[in-house]
Amino acid sequence: MSAVARTRAVVVDRPAAALVVPLLLFDLLAFVVPFGFLLRISLSDRLPAQAYAEGTWSTAGYRYLLDPSNTLLSVLGFTLAFAVVVTALSVLIATLYAHAMWRADGAVRAVLIAGALVSMFTAIVVKLFAAILVFSPQGAFNTALVGSGLLSEPLRLVNNAPGAVIGQLYIVVPYSILAVYSVLSTVDESLIEAARDLGAGGPRAFREVVVPHAVPGMLVAGVISFTWSVGSYAAPLLLGSGSERTAGIAVSDLLLRQFDWPAAAALAVVVTLSVVAVLVATRIALGRSGVSSGGR
Amino acid sequence: MSLLELTGLVKRYGDLTAVDGLDLTVERGELVCLLGPSGCGKSTTLRMIAGFETPDEGTVTLAVDGDATDVTDRPPNERGTSMVFQDWALFPNKTVAENVAFGPKMHGVNREQRRATAREMLEVVEMGDHADDDPTALSGGQKQRVALARSLALDPELLLLDEPLSNLDRRLRETMQLELKSIHERLDTTMVYVTHDQDEAFTLADRIAVVDDGRVRQVGAPETVYTDPDALFVESFLGTSNFVDARVTATDGDRATVAFPFDARLRVPGGNAVSPGDTVTASLRPERLSVAVETVRADGATRSRGGLRFEATVASRLHRGSRYRYELTAGDTSLVTHRRIADRLDVEPGDGVTVRCDAADVTLFDADGRRIR
Repeated sequence: MSAVARTRAVVVDRPAAALVVPLLLFDLLAFVVPFGFLLRISLSDRLPAQAYAEGTWSTAGYRYLLDPSNTLLSVLGFTLAFAVVVTALSVLIATLYAHAMWRADGAVRAVLIAGALVSMFTAIVVKLFAAILVFSPQGAFNTALVGSGLLSEPLRLVNNAPGAVIGQLYIVVPYSILAVYSVLSTVDESLIEAARDLGAGGPRAFREVVVPHAVPGMLVAGVISFTWSVGSYAAPLLLGSGSERTAGIAVSDLLLRQFDWPAAAALAVVVTLSVVAVLVATRIALGRSGVSSGGR
Repeated sequence: MSLLELTGLVKRYGDLTAVDGLDLTVERGELVCLLGPSGCGKSTTLRMIAGFETPDEGTVTLAVDGDATDVTDRPPNERGTSMVFQDWALFPNKTVAENVAFGPKMHGVNREQRRATAREMLEVVEMGDHADDDPTALSGGQKQRVALARSLALDPELLLLDEPLSNLDRRLRETMQLELKSIHERLDTTMVYVTHDQDEAFTLADRIAVVDDGRVRQVGAPETVYTDPDALFVESFLGTSNFVDARVTATDGDRATVAFPFDARLRVPGGNAVSPGDTVTASLRPERLSVAVETVRADGATRSRGGLRFEATVASRLHRGSRYRYELTAGDTSLVTHRRIADRLDVEPGDGVTVRCDAADVTLFDADGRRIR
């Protein structure tokens, strides 16, 4: 059967399946085809004077990644470590925040929801410069802590690794909050009451009933945070010291300064594949917890 | 000493007073039904017993280890009560057996012991074959059984049930009522059972507390509250009745004479509670009306010493499954009575009949809805 005939069979037999076609086309054009180009360039030979040697096949880009003198492996390592730290903190903060949002009512809840949404709708650059202002040694955060006597001298929270992490958290936490909140808001209150009734104290009931229910949302929050942080560029650039080189910054350097497209493409491919690996692992974890089938 | 004592319970939500000075005593081993229309405060009362709500006024006293203990402000996990929820509230991420073993687990019972308890309780509710099932895959009746087993696994001093059968279809509900009753008799667990379904209350309860507007209007054996109501609300809420406004024409010591809007008078007790000219409400239960196809003698037949006796016309006859329902008209008053198929009346709409009712079967209430005795 030809592909056309098969497609027609699908469309005729299952009209609903046809609704997916525009999405698949969009994915094809916006992701699969560009990624094909990227893969092809990453497998081209490097040329000193040009972006890449068109029509050639070579693993030079990947070998360049592995060469210790280029420090790209340590960039990759830092990127992954950075993403893991940001993800862990993001899920933790988002879970606490979403829980507060869920338990609060009236004005408090409205303020908490607005806090998450407004931060989400603010442009990244604006958000990061705001973070610089708040967390710099003369900023509001340090002034408040030093002024209240909790600290004798300001904490250094910008132009270093903690600064990069804080900046990245500013970007991803709002999305994580909404992901966790979306599942918490569906927790059946009577389940918590049942647990309390059967002898569980407050924290125990939370662990036995709320946490298992929240896990899918926390996984989604983790995926959002991780994928975004692996590709981080602006936060480490603006709030880091310059030694916080992430893969994103390195790719940009290779692409625009060194004009070494095969190496840049190779690095981008490795980062993309690691993100795909995490997505697949999460998908499997979600399936195991029975989430994908029943939505529980 | 009573197992449970509720004294002057009050619970307000903003301007709304859900429970308004409720008193109730429950003895050990009893099954007491809180019966009332929705919004009467019965579920709120149950939640205050369980510890999910804190009363604004009043106390909840439970006999703990033989001592009457004020538990009004104790959290739910420190009360020795256990609740079966209306929607059952089974933990979806745990198996049936894990659900049942949850209570013992929270109380530090070791794994072997609590597995044995879970197995035993699942046998009690005839769910032994479903121990490893996912509770979300069970039918309503099965969920109900698991929820019951989960609460029983703690061997609670007091089992609280919040309309546990209201989400089941009628046939299953009737089966479960009988099973609950047999479990109650076998395990001798004290139960407080909230329902708005009077059939359920009459089937299950040792005593029924009729609740209205946040207060207990009457508490007693099912037969007592049905046949000897203290208040108009109790009479109207339980079963169906004909309510007729009548007027007190004379009082004579502790006797009073009451005139009905149709041509009938009745001498009743309660002469000290009413005065001539008062309007009272008489309740005539449909099943207490006897109807005869006969000509009433002209000479004072409407004033009968033995009870109420008056002429009426058959307005309609309706076949309703196992019974006939007759609507009778006496003057401007419309009355309903019914007969089983075997005892049906040989009348057609338009026929004249004589209706009788024993004086003892006429219950009278004053303008505030209080029983006149």
